[in-house]
Amino acid sequence: MTVRDERALRDLVKSDRVHRDFYTSPDVFDLEMERIFARAWLLVGHDSQVPNPGDFVTTTLCRHPVIMSRHRDGRVHVMFNRCSHRGAQICTEPRGNAKRFECPYHGWVYDTDGRHAGAPYPARYADGFLKAGGFDLAAVPRLAIYRGFVFASLGAEGPGLDDFLGPMKSHIDAMVDRAPGGEVEASAGAFRYRFGANWKIQMENQNDLYHPMFTHASTTARDGTQFRRHGAEDDEAGRVRLLKENEALNEQWEELPVGGHRYGHTYMGMFPMNKGQSGPVHERYRAAMEARYGDRAERAMAVRFHNSIFYPQWSIQYLTQHIRLMNPVSVDCTENVIIPLRLKGAPEEMWRAALRSNNNSHSPAGMVMSDDMEVWVRCQNALTSPGNDWVVFARGASEEQADNRGSFEVRGTSEANARHQHRAWLGYMCGEA
Amino acid sequence: MRDEIEKFLFREARLLDERRFEEWMNLFAEDGYYWVPAAPGLEDPYDGVSIFFDDRAVMKTRLQRLDHTRIHSQKPASRTVHTVSNVEIDGDYGAVGEILVRSAVTMLEYRLEKQTAFAGRCRHLLRIAEGGGFEIAWKRVDLINCDGVFETLSVPF
Ligand code: FES
Ligand SMILES: [Fe+2]
Repeated sequence: MTVRDERALRDLVKSDRVHRDFYTSPDVFDLEMERIFARAWLLVGHDSQVPNPGDFVTTTLCRHPVIMSRHRDGRVHVMFNRCSHRGAQICTEPRGNAKRFECPYHGWVYDTDGRHAGAPYPARYADGFLKAGGFDLAAVPRLAIYRGFVFASLGAEGPGLDDFLGPMKSHIDAMVDRAPGGEVEASAGAFRYRFGANWKIQMENQNDLYHPMFTHASTTARDGTQFRRHGAEDDEAGRVRLLKENEALNEQWEELPVGGHRYGHTYMGMFPMNKGQSGPVHERYRAAMEARYGDRAERAMAVRFHNSIFYPQWSIQYLTQHIRLMNPVSVDCTENVIIPLRLKGAPEEMWRAALRSNNNSHSPAGMVMSDDMEVWVRCQNALTSPGNDWVVFARGASEEQADNRGSFEVRGTSEANARHQHRAWLGYMCGEA
Repeated sequence: MRDEIEKFLFREARLLDERRFEEWMNLFAEDGYYWVPAAPGLEDPYDGVSIFFDDRAVMKTRLQRLDHTRIHSQKPASRTVHTVSNVEIDGDYGAVGEILVRSAVTMLEYRLEKQTAFAGRCRHLLRIAEGGGFEIAWKRVDLINCDGVFETLSVPF
């Protein structure tokens, strides 16, 4: 039996559990790269990482080195970082500004849109050989940008970005619309880390409201509040209450909406906070928002979600203001890139608070992230052992009923979102997506 | 002076290795901070992301957490050795009573069968405290791999 056999795939995913091979089988991983990661739209980054003509960043997209650059005509390009001559990686700087990209091996040069711009000593090539073309840097098969978010697809076939995002577009809007300037900016660099666990373990974790009070117990103060996640001026604003005074679960958590949309995307509502934002900085922010949005300002300012996961590869965290790219490296290794987003036109103090919030919770030493990575690695390590083949996702089993557009919403500590991801996984893997 | 400064730095390193985090924190001035940028050459902690950028309030949360009975990422706890060397003293920097100390730091960390090495350039701005001795106005560590890919970090450098 091979994992390419549809029955074998279906045997891995039951309605309320998945087989441990789902996380540990290298064959399953290879097939995922082919059937999920080469079909879905993946996030490369944000176009504000390359604000000026000639700006570029290098990154990896599903294990392939790529360059994202802005050409002199202002357009953003994403191309494989591989010379068309004999295959050398052209650019190893993490970021910079270039007039042209020059290959270190034999000096072939490329324009910042990937166009082949010449080879040294061309006389030894047959007449017209170089001109005949085919030597541009290979662009990603499909590229699309929505509100500055740069997406690429490694497959020429598959749903268009509009269809792929569906209602999740409004989850991008929910982040970007909070900026009085109507744009977000990735101007603070990024954190990068890797951990020894399968990519799906992180996917299942991010909307999991069942875990914070245990996994993150060490950040919970005696009164049941977690450290301040965000808040420009008021120490209490942004404190997350995980527990009641008596260390019981704070029932407000069970009220939080959690839900999903087609293609395995999921989201979770905003955490119950002690109180909203207030104070002079917030008033300045409100004024800026009202100037832009008029009576729609209140709605645009609201932080409606804690996070939204764009299956299979990235997420937005709203209060902390970052995007998280989650790139699979191997069956038991995943690499994260955390990119904080600045709300253009919002008071500087808010940005400073958001940046510090990112440092505190999501740096490699982050007080939230380090707990999460620890438990994910423990899952991966233990799942290799025989004796119990199943991993259980039965909280609130089968309560999620998708509507005719494939969307559902339930509440609280249900494991519905993970089950939704599992169904999407089967869809991709069995060629239905 | 050099002797006292080196003793101060060596003791600071030992406090971290012995996980005496509260005593370590108390080496900092009330308005002091500890900074480990996540990019080379950052001038200002608000220009980019930082691995650590802790004022005393954040430091307190972080270090209390390191002593928490349910801090999973420190079960078992990291064992570390901090080595401080190449100490250079610059008394002309900053205000009267302040001394800039440059050093090199390496930290070896062992946890869960794995040993990891970190190295960086370190700067302390020390203030001569009222009752003698020093307090840290700020400490900045520039790791050579500051913008690299990390695994979980727990213990300050
Ligand atoms: S491999 Fe790039 S020029 Fe030869
Ligand atoms: Fe978590």
